[in-house]
Amino acid sequence: MRFNNQRLIARHIRHTVFRDRAVWGLWLLMALGAGYAATVGWVAFQQQRTTQVHYQQEARRDWLGNPDKHPHRMAHYGHFAFRSRSPLSLFDGGMDRFLGNALYLEAHKQNTVNFSEAGFSTGLLRFGDLSLAMLLQVLLPLLIFFLGAGSVATDRENGTLKLLLSQGVSWSEVLVGKSTGLFAVGLTLYGPLLALAGGLWLAALGGAPTADETLRFVLLALFYGLYLGLCCVVAVLVSAVSRTTKTALVALIGWWLMLTMVLPRASQALGTYVYALPSKTAFQSAVQADISREGNSHNPDDPHYAALKDSLLRAYHVASTEQLPFNYGGYVMAEGEKISAAVYNKHYHLLLARFGQQNQFARTMAFLNPYLALKNLSMALAGTDFLAYSRFQQQAETYRYALAQQMNALQIQYIPNQKRGPTEKDHAIDRKYWQDVPDFQYRAPSVAEVFRAEWVSVAAFGFWLLLLFFLVRGAAHRLSVL
Amino acid sequence: MLTLLFRSFIRSTGVKIGLGFLLTAGLVSLLVGRQFLDRQHRHHREVVAAQQADLRQLAEFNSKEMGLMLYYAPFALVNETLPLAGLSIGQRDVNPSIQRLTIRGLEGQKYDADLNNPSNLLLGNIDFSFVLIYLFPLLIIAFTYSVVSEERENGTWRVVAVQSRNLMGFIAQLFAVRLAVVLGLLVLLLGGGVAVLGLPLDAPFWLFAATAVLYVLGWFGICFWVASLHRPSSTNAVLLITTWLGLLVVVPAAVNQYLLTRYPLPEALATTVKQRRGYHEKWDMPQAPTVAKFYAHYPQFKHYPLPNTSFNWLWYYAMQQMGDDESARESGELRQKLYQREAASRQFGLWLPSVHAQLRLNDLARSGLGNQVRFLDETTRFHERLRLYFYPKIFEEYPVKAENWDQHFVETFADRSPIRVADFLLPPLLFALLLAGLGWLNFRRHLYHL
Repeated sequence: MRFNNQRLIARHIRHTVFRDRAVWGLWLLMALGAGYAATVGWVAFQQQRTTQVHYQQEARRDWLGNPDKHPHRMAHYGHFAFRSRSPLSLFDGGMDRFLGNALYLEAHKQNTVNFSEAGFSTGLLRFGDLSLAMLLQVLLPLLIFFLGAGSVATDRENGTLKLLLSQGVSWSEVLVGKSTGLFAVGLTLYGPLLALAGGLWLAALGGAPTADETLRFVLLALFYGLYLGLCCVVAVLVSAVSRTTKTALVALIGWWLMLTMVLPRASQALGTYVYALPSKTAFQSAVQADISREGNSHNPDDPHYAALKDSLLRAYHVASTEQLPFNYGGYVMAEGEKISAAVYNKHYHLLLARFGQQNQFARTMAFLNPYLALKNLSMALAGTDFLAYSRFQQQAETYRYALAQQMNALQIQYIPNQKRGPTEKDHAIDRKYWQDVPDFQYRAPSVAEVFRAEWVSVAAFGFWLLLLFFLVRGAAHRLSVL
Repeated sequence: MLTLLFRSFIRSTGVKIGLGFLLTAGLVSLLVGRQFLDRQHRHHREVVAAQQADLRQLAEFNSKEMGLMLYYAPFALVNETLPLAGLSIGQRDVNPSIQRLTIRGLEGQKYDADLNNPSNLLLGNIDFSFVLIYLFPLLIIAFTYSVVSEERENGTWRVVAVQSRNLMGFIAQLFAVRLAVVLGLLVLLLGGGVAVLGLPLDAPFWLFAATAVLYVLGWFGICFWVASLHRPSSTNAVLLITTWLGLLVVVPAAVNQYLLTRYPLPEALATTVKQRRGYHEKWDMPQAPTVAKFYAHYPQFKHYPLPNTSFNWLWYYAMQQMGDDESARESGELRQKLYQREAASRQFGLWLPSVHAQLRLNDLARSGLGNQVRFLDETTRFHERLRLYFYPKIFEEYPVKAENWDQHFVETFADRSPIRVADFLLPPLLFALLLAGLGWLNFRRHLYHL
């Protein structure tokens, strides 16, 4: 009996919603938006992937095509790491557009990741992104609010609510029934949009997805489904406490604007205010100062390198570095690379910690704003969040360091130690060694790592679900009919 | 009558809440702008101090060779940040306002990114332009969506219609009161901007204000037209919110996506890969042909002979120069594409008031893509000036100590590209007039349909 009432109410909502011709218009607009987002997204994805693969291969060919030469020249020749887009970025571009795409990896120097799409965008950049995720995160909730504003308030206005409740239907049945009805309405958009996303994702993968990738997609579907449910419950609750449909509509639109448009920017402003970042100049100067303190290989009187030299001379029982049985210059360079990389990493991690504080601040805001919880989780699962990006940067730096040290090792081992005269040709080693350096490969973090980084968002999600559960229960006892 | 209307309008709690909210958001945006300007100025001061300290220290360590000194020496160019940028930050948070370059290959340094947190860039700023472009229309919608329709729904419209001798005038007054309140708020915030950001009251400022006013008028035009459709208030509300969504969320994002795919930039990666090859492969080639190409580029340096050593600075900088020369085509194409993107977005701006406002406010604040491209162009010229100044000194082996390094100040680029007033004011003015005219015609038709 109880269950039947809920089903009836739910079915009623579904029917009334779709009787309205204007609703079909809205559905059509959403479908058009989804079609456009999918098409343009796919074209852009293909363009970027083609470019990225093309130049990654060209850079590799250039590297392998080098003739016999001094390994230190190859350390300076370096390599490129071009960031590849994750297949799920077709669904949620996340911060992709703001991330650099090309990183030049060379000896002695940690370069910035350049050429972000945002840096080459016009002022239109500020209007945001049109993606399937955006439709589900931003527009679908608004539609639900449009449709749900009258779910209870209309019944109250025309008196059916009184009839309904006097016939033995309980408040909780009304609230749950209306919410499920609205949810069913929402599913008619959620389902096709997610199917479209799934199709794009599989097409981008070009093969069977791994377990990790499948899990990502399933979790995305789950969180978006939960969020849709959350919006339905909010719409029905607001409608139930409002005297008229109009006040419910105004309140819901107001909330929607606050949560999706104003609060995210406000939390960003607050986060950067509380946790200020150093300027690039200050960052570079600090790195340089620390390197000089540790030992500056360019300074002829540097105590660190003087001590290094003395210890080598003593260990090998020789009078000058020219008598050492290996290439001394290579040895000094390896030491310099070690010091500068360690110092850079120390500062880079300090900077990452700062970014982390800012991001964690924004994540915590999800307890005030469930939209942020979904947004952060969605990006993280799609592999378009800060975690994926910082992994790319760190893996590229590890690659750079290994490359530089491999070249230093070749120099120490194969380059004669004697200084050459000013007109003598540079020493060279065989080009076969260039093949020993593997190409750069980015490895995405696993779902487990994603969750470790995003636990606050998951907690906030859970918090909102619980909160709504109790609100519905509380409301069922306290709501008035009039 | 007007004062009565004004009093009854301003007395409603909804109106007070709306005004209070927008005033708060506006003040926050001014503080955000202040913070942004302070940060820019701090970065400027830091780079001035760092340049002097770095040059002095480098000159000490590399006192023997001018060529080695200039291998390391960084010189900074700053993109001037106008106080107006505090109102419209544009892409100044994405793109670095400071370039630090050595005289080595330019293409490898020109596009170096700033240190910033992409999460912050993604969420965007609450600057004044956001408040104006996104939030002001909402206030206007909230104030006007039920202007005549509610009176009809409550049945008071019949009374008004019967008693008023000039019904159109009455409707105009209803809108005029709301317009006056909204413009009052706008003027207040701009006045606040003058105080908080220290905006000079110059021509760009007045043009900025006029563009903002016309944007507001455009939205009043939309609301006036919707009110004239003779629909119930709730339909008006949904129609207006949908228009807002279309103009601010969906269509500009769709246009941007279109522009990015219409003008893709493989040239960016092409430039950087080519540049590396162009420079590095010269190490494996004889010196003479490379230096010959260098002489062809700079005939004025022909009289510096190529030394007979396996390494020399003339050859080294000639190799560096080749990296730039051989990637010049891709680099030029990249620049061309950026201008195309900018021009295309302006075309769309003619039809979309939101896009028009954002692009034009960025123009005045010198914070858009146009400014960025001009800054990159100036970076190229700046780099060239440095090369032309230092190349002879390197080739002559001018003593490092003899150079006065303290006179190499940080330079500033002031973007003074011309501004055509008509481009700013005409499109929104026509838009507002068109909608107001259409609304007027509609109202006249339905005036006594009670």
